[in-house]
Amino acid sequence: MHPEQQDWNALSDEDFRAIFRDWVDANCPAHLRFMRKQRPVFDEVAEWYHALARKGWLSPVWPQEWGGMGLNAAKHIVYVEEWARLGCPRIPDHGIGLTGPLLIEFGTPEQKDFFLPRILSGEHVWCQGYSEPNAGSDLASLRTSAVREGDEFVINGQKIWTTLAHCANWILLLARTDKDAPKPQNGITVLLVDLTSPGVVVRPIPNLREEADFCEVFLDDVRVPAKNVVGQVNGGWALAKAVLGHERIFLGAPSRPEYALTRLEMLAEDRGAFDDPAFRSRYAKLRLDLYDLGSAFERFAKVLREGGTLGADVSVLKLFCSELYQRITEETLAVAGEEARFYDDLPVGSGHVDAMNLFLDARAPAIFGGSNEIQRNILSKAVLGLPSR
Amino acid sequence: MPIILLDDPDSTLAMLRDSVATLGARADGAATFRRRRAAAVDLDPETWASMAAAGWAGLVLPEAAGGMGLGAAELVALAEALGRALLTEPFSTLAVFPSVLLGALDADIDALAEALIGGAVLPVLWQGLRGEVRPLALADGRLTGEAHLVPGAQSAQVFLVLAEEAGEPVLVSVEAASAGLRVHSRPGIDGATLGSVVLHDAVAGPVLARGAAVTDAFDQAIRMTRLALAAELAGIASRALEITVDYTSNRVQFAKTIASFQAVQHRLVDMWAEAEFACSSVANAATLADQPAAFAQAVLAAKARAGDAATAITRKAVHLHGAMGFTDQCDIGLYLKRAIALNATLGQPEELRLAFLDAERAA
Repeated sequence: MHPEQQDWNALSDEDFRAIFRDWVDANCPAHLRFMRKQRPVFDEVAEWYHALARKGWLSPVWPQEWGGMGLNAAKHIVYVEEWARLGCPRIPDHGIGLTGPLLIEFGTPEQKDFFLPRILSGEHVWCQGYSEPNAGSDLASLRTSAVREGDEFVINGQKIWTTLAHCANWILLLARTDKDAPKPQNGITVLLVDLTSPGVVVRPIPNLREEADFCEVFLDDVRVPAKNVVGQVNGGWALAKAVLGHERIFLGAPSRPEYALTRLEMLAEDRGAFDDPAFRSRYAKLRLDLYDLGSAFERFAKVLREGGTLGADVSVLKLFCSELYQRITEETLAVAGEEARFYDDLPVGSGHVDAMNLFLDARAPAIFGGSNEIQRNILSKAVLGLPSR
Repeated sequence: MPIILLDDPDSTLAMLRDSVATLGARADGAATFRRRRAAAVDLDPETWASMAAAGWAGLVLPEAAGGMGLGAAELVALAEALGRALLTEPFSTLAVFPSVLLGALDADIDALAEALIGGAVLPVLWQGLRGEVRPLALADGRLTGEAHLVPGAQSAQVFLVLAEEAGEPVLVSVEAASAGLRVHSRPGIDGATLGSVVLHDAVAGPVLARGAAVTDAFDQAIRMTRLALAAELAGIASRALEITVDYTSNRVQFAKTIASFQAVQHRLVDMWAEAEFACSSVANAATLADQPAAFAQAVLAAKARAGDAATAITRKAVHLHGAMGFTDQCDIGLYLKRAIALNATLGQPEELRLAFLDAERAA
């Protein structure tokens, strides 16, 4: 256990919040706060990553025996809220949020001993190899193949929309190990793949914001030791679905629209838009939507605080949050008027508003983590119980 | 299905919900709505008497005045259940509003409170035809002026009256049977008439309060009544959704249930999301009742959210019932009409949102 660890869950939420906030505020470098970039690469935020690792606070929910803080859901919500409130940058977190929890739950002792410390040290930077050109929303139709040859699997195929693969050195890969499975879900395996292996090519894809934060990953006869299979061969689908527990609430955390609304307010103040009754009316609607998103988030957070588990209905937060983020940034461009023709930030008083940056950024959350249309399909079955025929 | 989630350590809320459901099963809200509408009256006396007998008329009246002295959470649970059961007697405006108004006064209200608890109808005269605050004139103990949008005006025993005397607000009462008092009624969209009350030199009762005490009491009454309306609207929204899920899951066209079509499914999911947000917004307000500034804002948000949700959901619900939804025989239209009426009572969403924004930006 890390020397500075203690039983955080025994503290009140308020006490934990104060301790966490004070240290983060004192230690997160000022130039990394409220970064324009949503997904900085590892080198840009390495000092913050290592500061958290030294403190033992890099990994909020891993058990303390594996170097995590061991936070329960309630304390994890506080952690995420304060992180956002203080404008800390997102760190490359697939190792912490995805590979780590998967190995802790399903990994062999050898996998845990080898990989977990290397995530905490920053030696291994992970990315998530799920989507393929023809397997996006319909992920189970993925075709990247892994064929057993002796003690190895030989992998061929292509992944896409792989966030931050160009600065990662390991990939958590979903691959097809049984082409003839009666259901496509039953022929998928999770593999841990070293991106420096021969046969791997990573190519960044510039996004709408003209930045490279997702990539294509080509795998051509890549050889992976069989000991790098997580769980059972052909049992990967259940694993991939199991890791998203209470974390699903964070897809609907109000921090992005909250930040965007502060930018809209700044621009509107500077440009005198609050004198326009039509704008006031639209702004009031956005403000109240944000307020009520807070109430709805609290309704689900309360379930977690009281030790409950979340149902499929929590994705209502993701739907509302992502669409609100879009509407706020659309209004910001409208307030910008002719200045919406600029790509760079708009000057206001002594600062800037990144109107276009936010507008473009807001296109993504309605797609990732399951597009909003897929979410509606799921909700119609899981919550409303609507018939298929 | 969406529900307003509140802590219920001693099961009071569950008991209140149960008793509303029991009355709902007996009274049949839809039938009562139509009967009251056909009779062109302002409430159904039998249902109102049952509600009073259950103690709901004095639910939020302080115990010292003989009421149940219950708080925001209980009020919300009861009002939500009334909405779900389509029990459309004017609970918010004729039970909550006068209870909070009287309870806020430092005056002898025993007789009025006793009447209220016993099921007497005590509407408050304070609004003009457009809903604006419009005090009557009080001089030499006599009232002159007119009030509009008055619920229960035909059934009233006593009116509570906001008046102005020597430039100062005062609260008085006046007997409904007084000489110089006339009532005109117009049909309301929710099957209950709304009254206009015209007074000319009508003899008023003693002054109950004066000055800031009056405006403060009205602020409290408006706030709690809005909270009750919001909860009732959330209940209407949730129930209308359930009815529509049920209908579309059984209605077959092209050899499939219409709820199996994705276009319909996504509409229903959006309706569900609106109802969820209405419920969590009302729950948020109920939990802030002991923090005055935050409560005031939360109630504005909740009434706006629930009003928008209930009117939007019931409109879409009528649509999803097809031609059947356009018939008077189909109950879903009654939910729409009730939602419109409550949404329009004590401020529509736009007005409430702007009030929220003004308060926040002034702070």
